[in-house]
Amino acid sequence: MGMRIEEEGRSCRAIVDGDVTVATAAEIQAALSVAVREHDETEVDLAGVEEMDTAGLQIILAAKRCAGKTVRFVNHSAAVLRVLELANLGQQLGDPLLIRASDAAADGRT
Amino acid sequence: MDLSQALATFFDESRDLLAEMERILLRAESGAPAGEEMNALFRCAHTIKGSAGMFGLDPVVRFTHEVETLLDRLRQGELVFSPALVGLLLESRDHMADLVAVATDGGGVDASVESALLERLRAAVGVPAATPAAASVPALVVAGAAEVEVEASGGGPIGNDCWHLSLRFEREVLQSGFDPLAMIHFLGSVGVVSHIETVVDALPDLAELDAELCYVGFEVALKSGASKAEIESVFEFVLDQSRITILPPHSRMEDFMALIEDSGEDKFRLGELLVACGSITENELARALAVQQAVTAPLRLGEVLVGQGAVQPAVVDAALARQKKVEERRSSEAKSMKIPADRLDALIDQVGELVIAGAATQLQARRANQRELQEAASNLLRLVEDVRDSALRLRMTPIGEVFGRFPRVVRDVARELGKDIELTISGADAELDKSMVEKIGDPLMHLVRNAIDHGIESPEQRTAAGKPARGTVSLNAYHESGSIVIEVADDGGGLNAARILQKAVDKGLVSAEANLSPADIHRLILEPGFSTAEQVTNLSGRGVGMDVVKSNVEALRGTLDIDSAPGRGTTMRICLPLTLAIIDGFQVGVGPATFIVPLDTVVECIELPDGAAGADYLNLRGEVLPFLRLRRVFAVAGDEPPRQNIVVVRFGGRKAGIAVDRLFGECQTVIKPLGRLFAGVSGISGSTILGSGEVALILDVAQLVHGAAAPAGAKVLAHTPAA
Repeated sequence: MGMRIEEEGRSCRAIVDGDVTVATAAEIQAALSVAVREHDETEVDLAGVEEMDTAGLQIILAAKRCAGKTVRFVNHSAAVLRVLELANLGQQLGDPLLIRASDAAADGRT
Repeated sequence: MDLSQALATFFDESRDLLAEMERILLRAESGAPAGEEMNALFRCAHTIKGSAGMFGLDPVVRFTHEVETLLDRLRQGELVFSPALVGLLLESRDHMADLVAVATDGGGVDASVESALLERLRAAVGVPAATPAAASVPALVVAGAAEVEVEASGGGPIGNDCWHLSLRFEREVLQSGFDPLAMIHFLGSVGVVSHIETVVDALPDLAELDAELCYVGFEVALKSGASKAEIESVFEFVLDQSRITILPPHSRMEDFMALIEDSGEDKFRLGELLVACGSITENELARALAVQQAVTAPLRLGEVLVGQGAVQPAVVDAALARQKKVEERRSSEAKSMKIPADRLDALIDQVGELVIAGAATQLQARRANQRELQEAASNLLRLVEDVRDSALRLRMTPIGEVFGRFPRVVRDVARELGKDIELTISGADAELDKSMVEKIGDPLMHLVRNAIDHGIESPEQRTAAGKPARGTVSLNAYHESGSIVIEVADDGGGLNAARILQKAVDKGLVSAEANLSPADIHRLILEPGFSTAEQVTNLSGRGVGMDVVKSNVEALRGTLDIDSAPGRGTTMRICLPLTLAIIDGFQVGVGPATFIVPLDTVVECIELPDGAAGADYLNLRGEVLPFLRLRRVFAVAGDEPPRQNIVVVRFGGRKAGIAVDRLFGECQTVIKPLGRLFAGVSGISGSTILGSGEVALILDVAQLVHGAAAPAGAKVLAHTPAA
């Protein structure tokens, strides 16, 4: 469980592993908000996410709304996709930021 | 963030619900349950399923779902109750209990049992009838609710034949261990989610986010034939703090407007969400918002609409009634509270110390010989007594808690033995200390099984003896002079005294020459290693049991009596003190020693008549009263004073006198257990500390009375050491 940050100049890549639930959310939120603040572009790799609940979903939603920053979520694991589908956020066309994330998941593009 | 606490609530509730199911099903054996009971039965299964779903206990959900399906068909009148069906439902209930227990304690269940039960349940349900009632309940269509993926159509408006759910959770919902997404997932068991909008307006920026609070809400369109209560039950555990609005299909526009208005959120934004869900159309929204803006007075929209005749007042009334009901439920919840038993025990301990300290204060006050101080001290003591009584009452539980499990036991055991037995229960509301309630369960169970197994004859034997083929076992409880009496009676063949004596002689328990009264012969069955059953069944008759029952009862400072008449039945009578902690005592003195007689056993005090100096009996108003001299019983040193007193005590229907030197009067007595060294001493049940700091022994009146009142011939038995 946890998050690893790989720096690439002005952008970074955050790799999340294990559970993103209420038990771990505070830790991930803290790490992720630092990463987003210090970089223009953040790519979050969700391939290793094994479980996600409402707390985890909120982090994704909040990260997508950071003004002036680009946050991309890629390689959504099955657990993440399940949550997005449940909340009807995967296909929600009204949110361009989320489309990119879900497209990326669906097509393998980043 | 303590999920375990919420889970514990679930397990508690499940236990209650399962017990309720069992009660209803047992009653169903004598006649199909009427409407309300049938509904209650269904609700039990439904609530267990719902709650289990919220905790992700899939095995419970899966199995209970099948039970619920069968119950639903019974409720709809599509199936009728038959003995076989009741049996199946009882077995299913047991399996549900097992599944819940596995969820609590871990372990596993026998999969073959489950699959066999499932097969029978499905066979009982049969092919679902094509009645509209059955077809419109999606729970019937959806198999294995927990595995169903929620369908999110993502498509356009679907008309308003859907329920609309507006879900705004309290911020702390996650910390209480609930996951809104899991509830949404579970909605799949009551219907099909046709559209869902996640409301993120309240979500702060990532940096300010408190990750453990819940900011998101949901607007859900749900296609379901379930009732509002059933949908509501999905959110049962969060209902109180969260804002959950459930609008039925074809709700009026006004209801949606009320929802928008009450939300306190941006109404245009929320309106759009409702449109997105397909719950209302854009036109409807525009019209309603326009009307609302036209109203200048700060009236609530609901009132305006009623004024215009747009909403029936009845609708508003119904809403109010619903609100009131929720409040009533809350207030009834507040009427009782759960307290951990150890806190209660600690309180009782402290009250015990308070009683001792109070007695010491009073003694000092008396010695100081100051009237004001004495008055204050006795006031204090009176209050302490009240506190003591209230504290002890906290621990009082109705015996019915124990009796409640017997209908099922009797049914199962009677069936196994091919006997027809009716159980009657009376006095279930007699109360006794909680710790006693817990400990009396097993001995009672043994007595009941014995009554069924050995007591009641087979239907053929009964008919031959001119008795009704159906036997009766009755459980009865009542209070008698500070103790509770619990009777297990049967109308069977009674104890066979000759056979018991024969067996006892064979086993060397008594000599063949001993001249025993019938009552003493009956008591032989309480001896270790004694069993007269000719057939060893798997229920009882293995020679262990009655002696265990006896020692269990004695460990609770109680007695076990047997009353039996050949051909008419046997009554086992357990007599227990109400509490094990604090009693009212009567203080007496012999030489330098002080003893306490439990006050509730004391009938009266008289002076020892001169004529009775050397005898063991005296004449009490024409009645023969056996008595014993405490000085001799405990070998207290010193000479008998010229004037002695007799304390007349009663226990278990027998009276006896205890000769003592002095009478000191009433005192509160905190019972302290005796050390192991004194375990074998008969006639003493405990010790206590007096106000002066001295130790006094508490007399075991039951043993003393037995010793004094037993006829000479039976002394052998009376002194048999109690294990």
